[in-house]
Amino acid sequence: MKNFRIPVAALTTVLWLALAGALTAGGNEIPAKAQDHPIVLTGGTIHPVSGADIPGGMILFDRGKIVSMGTNLQLPPNTERIDISGKHVYPGMILATSTIGLMEIGAVRATRDVVETGSVNPNVRAEAAVNPESEIIPVTRANGITVAVTMPGGGVVSGTAAAVELDGWTWEEMTLKAPVGLIVNWPRMTINRAWWERRTEEEQKKAREKALEELKNTFRDARAYMTAKKAEAAGTGPHHDTDLRWEAMIPVLEGKIPVLLDAGELQQIEAAVAWADREKVRLVITGGYDAPRAAQLLKDHGVSVIAGPVNSTPRRRWEPYDDPYTLPKRLHDAGVSYCIMGDGGYENERNLPYQAAQAAAYGLPADEALKAITLYPAKILGLDDRIGSLEPGKDATLIVTTGNPLETLTNVEMEYIRGKSVQLTSRHTHLYDKYREKYRRQGIE
Amino acid sequence: MSTRRTIRTFLSALFLFLAWAWTAPLTAQVAPAVGIRQNTPAVHAFTNVRIVISPGRVIAKGTLVVRDGMIEAVGANVKVPADASVRDMTGMTIYPGLIESYTDADLPKKSGGSGRESGGGGGRGSRGDEETGAAGGARYWNSNVRSSVSAAELFTPDEKENEKLRAMGFTVAQLVPPDGILRGATAVVMLGEGNPGELIVKKDVAQAGTLARQRGSGEPYPNSLMGSVALVRQALLDARWHADAQSASRQHPDEPRPEYVSDLAALGDLIDGKQPLLMDAADENDLLRVASIAKEFSLRLWVRGSGSEYARLQEVRGAKVPLILPVNFPETPAVRTSEDALGVSLAALRYWDEAPENPKRLNDAGVEFSLTTALLKDVGDFSKNVRTAVERGLPADAALAALTTRPARLLGIDKDVGTLERGKLANFVITDGDLFGEKTTVLETWVSGKKYPVKPAPDVDPRGTWAAVLTGAPVDSVMISLKGKADGPKVTVTVREKEAKTAEAEFLNLVLSLSFSGDSIVFDGVTRMSGSYTGGKFSGTGELSDGSAFGWNAVRTEPFAGEEDSSKAKAPRMASFTPVYPPGEFGRARLPDQPARLFVKNAMIWTSGPAGNIANGDMLIERGKIKQVGTGLTAPPDAVVIDAAGKHVTAGLIDCHSHSAATGGVNESGQAITAEVRIGDVIDPDDIGIYRELAGGLTVANVLHGSANPIGGQNQVIKLRWGAPAEEMKFKGAIPGIKFALGENPKQSNWGDDNTTRYPQTRGGVEQIIRDEFTAAQDYRKRWTDYRAGKFHIPPRRDLQMDALVEILEGKRLVHSHSYRQDEILMLMRVAEDFGFRVATFQHILEGYKVADIMAKHGAGGSTFSDWWAYKFEVYDAIPYNGTLMDKAGVVVSFNSDSDELARRLNLEAAKAVKYGGTPPEEALKFVTLNPAKQLRIDKRVGSLEAGKDADFVIWSGSPLSNMTICEQTWIDGRRYFDREEDRAMNAEVGRERSVLIQKALEAPKGKSGEKKGGRGRGYDDDESRYSCQDEFNAKEGR
Repeated sequence: MKNFRIPVAALTTVLWLALAGALTAGGNEIPAKAQDHPIVLTGGTIHPVSGADIPGGMILFDRGKIVSMGTNLQLPPNTERIDISGKHVYPGMILATSTIGLMEIGAVRATRDVVETGSVNPNVRAEAAVNPESEIIPVTRANGITVAVTMPGGGVVSGTAAAVELDGWTWEEMTLKAPVGLIVNWPRMTINRAWWERRTEEEQKKAREKALEELKNTFRDARAYMTAKKAEAAGTGPHHDTDLRWEAMIPVLEGKIPVLLDAGELQQIEAAVAWADREKVRLVITGGYDAPRAAQLLKDHGVSVIAGPVNSTPRRRWEPYDDPYTLPKRLHDAGVSYCIMGDGGYENERNLPYQAAQAAAYGLPADEALKAITLYPAKILGLDDRIGSLEPGKDATLIVTTGNPLETLTNVEMEYIRGKSVQLTSRHTHLYDKYREKYRRQGIE
Repeated sequence: MSTRRTIRTFLSALFLFLAWAWTAPLTAQVAPAVGIRQNTPAVHAFTNVRIVISPGRVIAKGTLVVRDGMIEAVGANVKVPADASVRDMTGMTIYPGLIESYTDADLPKKSGGSGRESGGGGGRGSRGDEETGAAGGARYWNSNVRSSVSAAELFTPDEKENEKLRAMGFTVAQLVPPDGILRGATAVVMLGEGNPGELIVKKDVAQAGTLARQRGSGEPYPNSLMGSVALVRQALLDARWHADAQSASRQHPDEPRPEYVSDLAALGDLIDGKQPLLMDAADENDLLRVASIAKEFSLRLWVRGSGSEYARLQEVRGAKVPLILPVNFPETPAVRTSEDALGVSLAALRYWDEAPENPKRLNDAGVEFSLTTALLKDVGDFSKNVRTAVERGLPADAALAALTTRPARLLGIDKDVGTLERGKLANFVITDGDLFGEKTTVLETWVSGKKYPVKPAPDVDPRGTWAAVLTGAPVDSVMISLKGKADGPKVTVTVREKEAKTAEAEFLNLVLSLSFSGDSIVFDGVTRMSGSYTGGKFSGTGELSDGSAFGWNAVRTEPFAGEEDSSKAKAPRMASFTPVYPPGEFGRARLPDQPARLFVKNAMIWTSGPAGNIANGDMLIERGKIKQVGTGLTAPPDAVVIDAAGKHVTAGLIDCHSHSAATGGVNESGQAITAEVRIGDVIDPDDIGIYRELAGGLTVANVLHGSANPIGGQNQVIKLRWGAPAEEMKFKGAIPGIKFALGENPKQSNWGDDNTTRYPQTRGGVEQIIRDEFTAAQDYRKRWTDYRAGKFHIPPRRDLQMDALVEILEGKRLVHSHSYRQDEILMLMRVAEDFGFRVATFQHILEGYKVADIMAKHGAGGSTFSDWWAYKFEVYDAIPYNGTLMDKAGVVVSFNSDSDELARRLNLEAAKAVKYGGTPPEEALKFVTLNPAKQLRIDKRVGSLEAGKDADFVIWSGSPLSNMTICEQTWIDGRRYFDREEDRAMNAEVGRERSVLIQKALEAPKGKSGEKKGGRGRGYDDDESRYSCQDEFNAKEGR
């Protein structure tokens, strides 16, 4: 079977044209206007998450901030009243880990901006590479997710994560807070014996040692840099040339932002907590499959866990089939600070509420499940002064739904991000409408 | 000719050959003499020796006479011939020489890499092939079939390896070629020194084979287990065709000559049942796999097992296959720290705990087996491990039989070896005790009348108690006691009833040298003595600490009493737990019961049938079939009643696209067209995914080949009967199907720069190669029609690829095609229409909504993801409204998983059809019940709760479309395969068993090879083999 050949360059051109066409065709959603008049939603049930539900309540917001909530509010004269009787108001959901904006089509290299070369890249910042035109954004937003933490990946230190609002003209406008954490990937501590692992046991051990050594060196060098720069600033030391990598790590070393450390195995978690204690950095664990086994350690050191994905299979043959489902419940029961993550990716993150729902179905109290994708991620990532619950003074970043957002059958009908009414259409609804028209013309409704 | 008669004819021919071969003594007869001829008489008589003639037949004290390599006489009262060299063997035992049934010692080492090694020796014609005799000539198209390789031709005695085997008592071995899949013919040889011609006992004994993937062989096909099976099946068919075609060609020389292939010619005896097939089996499931292939071709099968046959004892016994069993007992799992122990499954712990009882359990079950050193990391562990097997309940006689009489009979050499009887080869082992005893030493191994010292016994055994008379020493007498080994005895010296503090002794060349010291005895410092053994006494001189000499002589006052065997004293720790199926986690001792009558009442029943949803409904089930569904039914008095008030009941969920329970790779990507490979050959009943999916309400899965090829392999519909063997998981009566794939995967768009040359690389190429195959299939069918009509006489070759395609053309095989874009979807429908068949389902079909009207007209089903998109370019237009739009256009729609994870919650996927586009809830549920059943043409049996259908149903805690609902019970055929309460109990049991076994492992003595991390399971892959559902190249291939 000899194949015929087409010049690679020609193929590449074809691919590029095809892609360019596809990528620019989208983006029909127009970013929302800034809130220019007070709005009150009335008649629905308000679920502040941080407090008791308010049936038949009102929520008033202005200039992007929640002004007041209750059953009988004083309204400013130009307030727009929107009747949402029978509906529900919740804070917008928060995606605690994702690559939204950095990844468009996983298999197409040109659309991937997640993994930089080299293994130590603390200076890479997610927000500066977020593509506001990404089709992923409206799709995710349409199911009630208003803010996503997006992050680079790969290597030992991948860069810093940013919390972005899922609406806006530019990444700058979308950025709610950045950096929110430094991404560190703890190396695998056990030997992988799966057939697809081509490295020998010895090679795997060496790779692990190398990664741990790199991590140690990174923090040692960054600290040395900070010390020297402080001396320089205080006039007690000479000038030192700038190192962007270590510059980016100063907020971490000063404890202003946490390390978001990807670790699932008990060995990783135990080692990481000891490491963070020694380095005097704030630690947040993402994944955290074995975290309940280290509950006491995590509590003693005030380490939070961004737990999940809940919808996954057990790691070990002997574990209960529902172990991933009960991960949040077990953390909750043990008193560990936690929240629930999505898949950590980009294209299926609209299903975040169903990760929390699965945890609720398998024993996590339903109100906890809701907090685990609103208030808790906001707290763990330092966003709770702005979002995560419905409270006066916080951003009017909220959703209006037909019911409990943890249920698939519930739909999001309205969505506000900082008081801006955002569109809930997307590439998906446009294609739906287009092809509905095809069948409508054939008499199929 | 009946098989039995064939075998008998074959055996008599064999005996004639053997009779000729073995009258020859072990000296060269053909080569001219070099130097002075050596004619030392070869007549030996061993007297006063314990003789084990055969297992269970023992002469306590007898004589064995050997002449010119043969046994001349054996018995209690045998007259020693006058010309014999006589050896008094008091205290020794002679056993028949052991037979190694499976080894590649004495053959060139494996040519390619194996296991994790990649690269290595190339394909045909590489240096490796020359060494292994598979280069050049008229060979099979695929170098993994190298049946014309003959071990006898490659046999190169390797004295180092032979010495190791002889040291354990082996005298004869079957050599098995180590390369390829059908590897060539074995040979039985003697493990002596000499030229091969003198040592070969029997050639071409069996054809050897394996299904293991040949990584690093340089041959791209096959690269999956199912590909190996397909290659074996095709080669066997080819061998049959080859014989028929060659013979037809001789009668019809005017017709075009069929190709001659030496590897196929070499399989002639095998397919005629004249030669056995010796297959490796990687685990007990693999054993059943090769047994079913052998049955398919009526072959005589032998299997070299894995050591885990006990795990499916009943089925293994039922296979009636002679086994060659390794004693490769697993190393102690690494559980030193709690963290380490997390990585060790109960299956691995139980395997470690139970595998040493494999020989016992097989023996108890009446399974015939021989034992082999094969698969041992260190061949030297063999005796130790056989001893362990004996300690763990294998009768010692059975162990001996498994090394002598059994393999002799199996290999057809029992007239000449295996027992110590007159007229047999003088192959035997001399030991100083019970062959499997802990303290026993093999002293000599004799091969064909030639002695090979292993650990020679001294001519004189000095052990016992000696009274020494001293002259010129501080005392007149001392007592000397010698124990332990005859050549390095342990000594104690007693002076006036007091024992010397230290004493050392050596016995060499009939001279005993000893030294002793002690404060409390009369002697000062260290005293040394040496004496010669003469006339049953010692006499010699000694030297005191001051340098003065003394004389001494000694007589034996007590003979050596023997040592205590400590291994018998300590009771072995037997396996802690009784078998469950599958072995390990969440297994059960037996299948769940099937109540004769079962009555489910007061439930919200989603029938997925014409009755719709029935509130407060009842369902009556009889012997696994639904009898009645409705309201106000009465429970028969003897029925098992389930009150499901407040619960919802649905039909068992069906996943129309799964890769669960397939092992050894789901893509055979060594070729672009692999219609010949079958998922049904590689069902893994131990896949934990099965249990986990049951726990999500799944009862039926369509297990598909991957999407690497435009025409992939054949699928297998299974019911998730957790605990049953692979064969019983298959959905009997389901119409067979096959996987096709269109778009980026078959054209290898996302597989990196190394995959840019295989045809096809474009969608246009995908269309053409599919057309080409169907055109070829039509030609193939015509060729057969013409042949059957007598238009020509040399039979066409049967081609399993073409057979499958012809079945598609004839509507007997369903096409399930992986597809995304509307152009390719339309293309395949048009191709199908051109060839007169319908596409059964499009899988994934994420742009189905764009051509749903055409699909409906064609009659193709759409088996799609609810909402996946954007993971690659061809799914950038995927929308979650796809299901609803196709449904409205009249396409039968299902939502599938293609994932071990998503398969656990398909009911919630169905809910997305309500969310996106507003499909009514009852219709949406059908996306995962009735509709996939229709797509698989099994809707007469499953998919809805209607009278007459299988009792496959799920009890849910609430509405199946609510995210707050969990699956409480899953029933298949009226048997409860999952129950959440039972699951909680099983979890506790898993925890208990793990604790017990982890403690046991912590207490176990450490093996010399140290601990092994992770506790690897059995079989081809370890516990993480479920990831093999993904492609070799891309973790997301399945999509």
